[in-house]
Amino acid sequence: MQLLNTILIGITAGSIYSLMAIAFVLVWRSTRVINFAQAGMALLSTYFGYEAVTRIGSFWIALPIAMLGGAIFSALVEVILMRVLVKHSSSGPIAAVAPIIATLGLLGLIRSVIAMIWGGQDLRILPPVSNNGFTVNGEVLVFSPLKLLILITTLILMALLTLLFQRTNLGLSFRASAYAPEIARLSGVRVDLIRTLGWALAGAAGAVAGVFQTVNGNGNFSPDSIEFSLLLVSGFIAAVIGGLDSLLGAVIGGMFLGLTISFILMYVSSGLFFIAPFVVLLLVLFIRPQGIIGVKVGRRA
Amino acid sequence: MHKLKPRVHFALFLIFGFILFLAGNRVDELRVYQGASIAVFVIAISSLILLTGYSGQVSLGHGALMAIGAYSATLARNEFQIPIIVTFFIAVLAAAVGGALLGAAAARLSGPYLAGTTLALAIGLPSLANQFSILGGEQGLLFDVGFPPLGLGEDFTQYKWFFWIAALAALISTWLLSNILSSRYGRNWRAGRSNEVAAQICGINTGRSKILAFTISAGIAGLAGALLSMTIGTVSPSAFPLALSFALLTGAVLSGVSTLSGVMIGAVTLVAIPEIADVVAHRIGSSENITTNLPGFIVSALLIVTVLFVPNGPVEQHRAREARKAAKKRL
Repeated sequence: MQLLNTILIGITAGSIYSLMAIAFVLVWRSTRVINFAQAGMALLSTYFGYEAVTRIGSFWIALPIAMLGGAIFSALVEVILMRVLVKHSSSGPIAAVAPIIATLGLLGLIRSVIAMIWGGQDLRILPPVSNNGFTVNGEVLVFSPLKLLILITTLILMALLTLLFQRTNLGLSFRASAYAPEIARLSGVRVDLIRTLGWALAGAAGAVAGVFQTVNGNGNFSPDSIEFSLLLVSGFIAAVIGGLDSLLGAVIGGMFLGLTISFILMYVSSGLFFIAPFVVLLLVLFIRPQGIIGVKVGRRA
Repeated sequence: MHKLKPRVHFALFLIFGFILFLAGNRVDELRVYQGASIAVFVIAISSLILLTGYSGQVSLGHGALMAIGAYSATLARNEFQIPIIVTFFIAVLAAAVGGALLGAAAARLSGPYLAGTTLALAIGLPSLANQFSILGGEQGLLFDVGFPPLGLGEDFTQYKWFFWIAALAALISTWLLSNILSSRYGRNWRAGRSNEVAAQICGINTGRSKILAFTISAGIAGLAGALLSMTIGTVSPSAFPLALSFALLTGAVLSGVSTLSGVMIGAVTLVAIPEIADVVAHRIGSSENITTNLPGFIVSALLIVTVLFVPNGPVEQHRAREARKAAKKRL
């Protein structure tokens, strides 16, 4: 029973990490930048969701609103910040690290602006269904209707994303601008627009991850909540495990990370909550630096 | 670029130290305390400049390395009653060992991977303090360097003593760093940063040189960590939050990551920001939410603006402009 619990918790957490990893991968594929502000965007979207829930009262209307808000904000960041960055800081000793520093600055900026608007105290989003575990054979599982719902919603979103990428012209443009921007431009794809759209999709995925991470925890969130730092690190690690370039890899990486952490917490020590992801990341980088699904070119982006 | 002779260099540091000494006697307690903070930031930022500007690696985990230094100094002091000056060396050594381990991983990574790994460390490491009871958990441990020696006079305050120790450490470490950076190792790092393949052709073991950069940088960060907990009086996980690593990065970018001589700009700015924010908040008479978050806002905004418009720092920017002017004249 403990084993089953561990696996189910791991998969639920893993699906949230996967969403976050997908956000990282989408941004990486469109602009070759790791967006460390992703957690800040997810946090902001969660606040959008909170506003919608308190005004409208329905979680299922608030979630799309949070996604839309996250998408618009993310697209704005790409247009306002990243395009200027590429123009100004493309040479000199700092060129390689400028995007990293800029997105980190953005993370700090988003957090402090949120704290200015909503204050530093904990806010709360109530989960749409109960987070009390199912009862099987008289035993109470940790797995709850809420976790099931998170899992199903995540799977549906991933299926939609796969459809978008594999079956539509827009998806083809996405893939073309990621792999050969020059040629894509030659054949009439508006690469800049596609890049912005890629950021917008990432913002939406991050929004879902943020809202789910919040309700899957105790429902509380604040500008400094450690949950979001954890989401940032976990999503990044999941994306790295998956090879950064592949959406499927991001999902596998997220699930792998979720399960690994869940097993470490259950069978080794529950106090390793924050250091476990770091250890997993180091092991992955030493054993298989190109990721589970990744081309063998080494990590020299 | 003109080069100063080492002896002139050393004399300059002595003169600068003497000016600091005179200034320290003329200002009030708060300024002396801020002076000590500036000295700590000078050390921490210069360690990041060495790493990011010279060897081209980003670290978001320098807050964690500072924590290693601070904790090991405190443990050495509290558990074994080691003389205070030795504990600073222990801080340097312990953090350097941590940095060497991290550097060994880092040498295989670059850019965003390294940033993400060190970010994970910065978030994960401070929480370890709650795991081992010897580290004192959330409240942390007391770190007491003791009263200033009686020979310095009666009105020699505790903060002035902190300032003396920190400023002396800053002078020594900056002097050492500037020498290392203009030595063979400094050239190796810059070569590896500019073009790794070319550097390898010249016979530089770029992997080993990166690990060395990480080790030295971590050791200096450890010293800064020990000094920081000296000025606070305690060492606890909350003294080394992610925001500290970000602030250091901002300081390094403001100073111009590739110029050690700009390090004062970053350090002074970081210490001045809370005060400026206070004044601004008072002026516009804002709510408490805005007042408490204004410093963080300013740090982040400065970071973004600098990276967007003066990516290589004010000193480097000025130098580049002068060089362009000179080139025009020659034509």
